[in-house]
Amino acid sequence: MNVSRRGFLKLAGGTLAAAGIGASVGVKSAHARPSKIRYAREVPTVCPYCAVGCGIIAHVSNGKVINTEGDPDHPINRGSLCSKGSALYQIPNNDKRLSKVLYRAPGSDRWEVKSWDWALDKIARNIKDARDKGFVRTNAKGQVVNRVENIASLGGAGLDNEEVYSLVKFKRALGLVYLEHQARI
Amino acid sequence: MTEYIKLIDLTKCTGCRACQVACKNWNDLPAESTGFTGSLQNPADLSYNTWCLIRFDEIQNGSGMNWIMRHDACMHCEWPACVKACPSPGALVRTDTGAVVHDPNYCIGCKACTAACPFDIPRYSAEQEKIAKCTLCYDRITDGRKPACVTACPTGCLTFGSKAEMLSKADARAAEVQGVVYPRNPKYRTNVLYIMPRAIDVAQLQHTNPNPKMPTTILWWKNLFKPFTLIGMGAVAGAAMLHYMVRGPHEPHGPEKKEGGE
Repeated sequence: MNVSRRGFLKLAGGTLAAAGIGASVGVKSAHARPSKIRYAREVPTVCPYCAVGCGIIAHVSNGKVINTEGDPDHPINRGSLCSKGSALYQIPNNDKRLSKVLYRAPGSDRWEVKSWDWALDKIARNIKDARDKGFVRTNAKGQVVNRVENIASLGGAGLDNEEVYSLVKFKRALGLVYLEHQARI
Repeated sequence: MTEYIKLIDLTKCTGCRACQVACKNWNDLPAESTGFTGSLQNPADLSYNTWCLIRFDEIQNGSGMNWIMRHDACMHCEWPACVKACPSPGALVRTDTGAVVHDPNYCIGCKACTAACPFDIPRYSAEQEKIAKCTLCYDRITDGRKPACVTACPTGCLTFGSKAEMLSKADARAAEVQGVVYPRNPKYRTNVLYIMPRAIDVAQLQHTNPNPKMPTTILWWKNLFKPFTLIGMGAVAGAAMLHYMVRGPHEPHGPEKKEGGE
């Protein structure tokens, strides 16, 4: 394209005039960005850290946790969280999170990768063996007690009400008496 | 849409930094590698990836000491200097919710806002070649939620609500604790307000501006020089065209000399 000096000036003048009009018109409102959790599913859960047990909503989209925040309807924290609970998002979304079962045999100095089936069988076997060994049918007075004294259970604040209920049911059925929980306040 | 105000009651802040973490969590901001500076303030300053920071101030008070924790983030001015200074339409916008929002898609990284802001809030990243700052969680408040920092605050230090409600609440609370509302300046209004406890001078705290105002240079530049320059440029172009129409094209070598007759 051949642009003469005059043609260039005309073009430049027109462009400048257009630019002047454009610059004088400001943007009045921002393009509303939809929030990342607008269409996410809300899953209520309990903070796993301390004994307060704050309620947290995990926002799930396509099977992934995309955000966590305090549950405004929870009676304990009413939506607020501490700095640690506010960072809960990085628990499910973390490269360092364990994704396989690791087993260290007694006396061994290394971890071995095992399958979930193997691990559950191993736990069941150990509970059965320990219970068989430590089951007390009667006490010193001859009263029937049916208890297991060589297994203790320690719960954590990550367990919610329903999980604790079913776990205690199960452990009482085994005959456990040493039931403890980190969140005893 | 209603205008909102974030009210920060410094008498209730415990410095737990839940707001700071919640801000990073919601805005997907990466952590920073920091060191110990002698204060609990961490990181030491706001940055491209830290839009909200609890600042710790130790102020001697006679024989004792006042330990002030202050939530520091964008003040969301009613007449924001950053928006006035920004040359790229749409990069910095004051929305009808009162939030001043930056849009990285339109930011050209000229840093005019970082120089203009009376509170030194917008931060530039040389890697991204853009600025970033607190958006008052514009994407949350348009969804009917509170900003992430306010949602997380466990002590009730941060509260959020409509402008009229929060203004009266601020006055009532300031009277209750015999403190002051900052910046309650009729000439410079913001959509973020502090309740400063009594016996605390705003000027003693780090990173505050006791007398915030729009920089005069920005006003000269944007209200006088820029329109005059645009008018001047248009006038030059118009005059050139007018000259072309009236006088016709300019001949490079002057009118051709007529050959004299024999």
